Amino acid sequence: MSAGAQPMLEARGLTRRFHGLYAVNDVSFTLQPGEILGLIGPNGAGKTTLINLISGTLFADQGELIFEDRRIERLHPYQRAHIGIGRTFQVMKPFPRLSVLENVTVGALFGFGGGERNRDKAREQARALLEFTGLDRRMDQNADQLGGPDRKRLELAKALAMRPKLLLLDEVMAGLNHVEVDEVVTIIKKIRDSGVTILVIEHVMRAIRSLSDRIIVLHHGEKIAEGLPDTVLADARVVEAYLGKRRA
Amino acid sequence: MVRAILLILAVVFLAAAPFFGDAVMIQYGIDALLFATLAQAWNILGGFTGYASFGNSAFYGLGTYGTAIAMAQLHLPFWVGLSLGAFLAVLCAVVIGLPILRLRGHYFAIATLGLSATLAAIISNLDISGRNIGLILPLTRNDVGFYEEALALLVASTLTVMWIAKSRFGMGLIAIREDEDAAQVMGINTTFYKVVALMLSAFFTAIAGGIHAYWITFIDPASAFDLSLNVRMVIMAMFGGPGTVLGPVVGSFILSAVYDALARSISTAAALLFGMVIVLAVIFMPRGLWDLGHGLRQVGWRYFLQNIRLHRL
Ligand SMILES: Nc1ncnc2c1ncn2[C@@H]1O[C@H](COP(=O)(O)OP(=O)(O)O)[C@@H](O)[C@H]1O
Ligand SMILES: [Mg+2]
Repeated sequence: MSAGAQPMLEARGLTRRFHGLYAVNDVSFTLQPGEILGLIGPNGAGKTTLINLISGTLFADQGELIFEDRRIERLHPYQRAHIGIGRTFQVMKPFPRLSVLENVTVGALFGFGGGERNRDKAREQARALLEFTGLDRRMDQNADQLGGPDRKRLELAKALAMRPKLLLLDEVMAGLNHVEVDEVVTIIKKIRDSGVTILVIEHVMRAIRSLSDRIIVLHHGEKIAEGLPDTVLADARVVEAYLGKRRA
Repeated sequence: MVRAILLILAVVFLAAAPFFGDAVMIQYGIDALLFATLAQAWNILGGFTGYASFGNSAFYGLGTYGTAIAMAQLHLPFWVGLSLGAFLAVLCAVVIGLPILRLRGHYFAIATLGLSATLAAIISNLDISGRNIGLILPLTRNDVGFYEEALALLVASTLTVMWIAKSRFGMGLIAIREDEDAAQVMGINTTFYKVVALMLSAFFTAIAGGIHAYWITFIDPASAFDLSLNVRMVIMAMFGGPGTVLGPVVGSFILSAVYDALARSISTAAALLFGMVIVLAVIFMPRGLWDLGHGLRQVGWRYFLQNIRLHRL
């Protein structure tokens, strides 16, 4: 980490409880511009909750969030979208009775800076993104007619259409086969190369290893490890968090 | 283009109709046009965002009383009365919308249920609104004039919905209906969008109430703040096709005609039969006439089977 560089995002002591249970407990980390940060941990570790806190879908009970140089923890979700935070949902949230093209157009019409005001221009941007994510052949289908892998691609395309500076990806590769995982890994690398900073939650270890510049590990809501992929994935506590879970 | 020409022809035909019809027909026409406007106004929030309002009968009552108070008590012209009624209704939409449009789905509908009764109680205790006795407006025998005003209002509300369906604003409303969480994180200020939709809805509803008040000349709290009127708005919009431009209008024309025909031939059983029409419509075409048209063209009669299968408990 180069000293003095302005982080894209900084979290300080983020905490969120549900009925006394700590879903996210005193988590701090930084995300540098242009970085891909991997976020891993067993099921129920608090990964999705952490993304919800950053996107504003949930408010934090405690802690600070600094995006570029402003505090954002009290901002509404739409305000965070306007300053450049985009996300996908693990439990996918397509607009079911709109066409794939319309789904993505919504991202372009709103999103960063409040979005493109002109509906035709927004539709053109959406069309380009459908090509980029390999959904162009499904363009006119309703979103509720898509199969699982295409729904994942749609989540990604909708978030990209918002032209985010920071992209939060929640298990966009779950349920994909090997070939599809490789395609999405390539797409994510291209997104990063276009200047987007990325936080990616993933269970597919092969993908997370090849994508991440750094990895942080959550367990029972707490950050238990942070560092380079090879170091972190060899860490005894991380192995135990995963294997212990599996044996239990 | 063809569609636009057909629509213009339909409006011209409707505008010319009273010059060929008798007095009773014109009265039916005024009623049908006002009902279609109410269904269309309800459609702006209910059809596009999926938030079912039962507060629209309150906006209707405010439009009614705004017009009546201005004309009967303050001796102001009709258009001032309409403006006063519309102002009160839009103000009410903001004041109740800001807090309760933060509630999701069914909670919103329930929260709006009490609004009509509350306002009726207030109005019944104010001298300026004639307490629970009501108000009598100046008499004007010009049914053709009322008919053309009602038609103009229906056209205005439909043009507004046409704009919504094509605009960025409308895309925001539809996104809210389809998935509100996703809409929010994609940059849509959902509360603001819903409140603006409710304001537009309140505006057209109140003007319809004002025209109706001046037409029938006598109003009281019970008939002005009538929740069953709101139920009719919902039924008509849902029957025609919520979230479409013409569905609510066509739907309410058809239901008005069916109801009038039933009421004329078999007055006692009319309400019962009308109820059955609604029940059958909900079972066989739960998304309204517009979707029915689509479905029949795509899959033919299997459309009905699909709906029954899709929506059975
Ligand atoms: N909205 C919610 N209400 C109540 N409990 C929740 C909610 N969201 C998450 N949790 C709980 O918080 C914990 C962390 O969940 P989550 O963030 O989804 O984990 P992960 O994404 O790492 O699998 C779990 O115990 C989960 O049951
Ligand atoms: Mg999760």
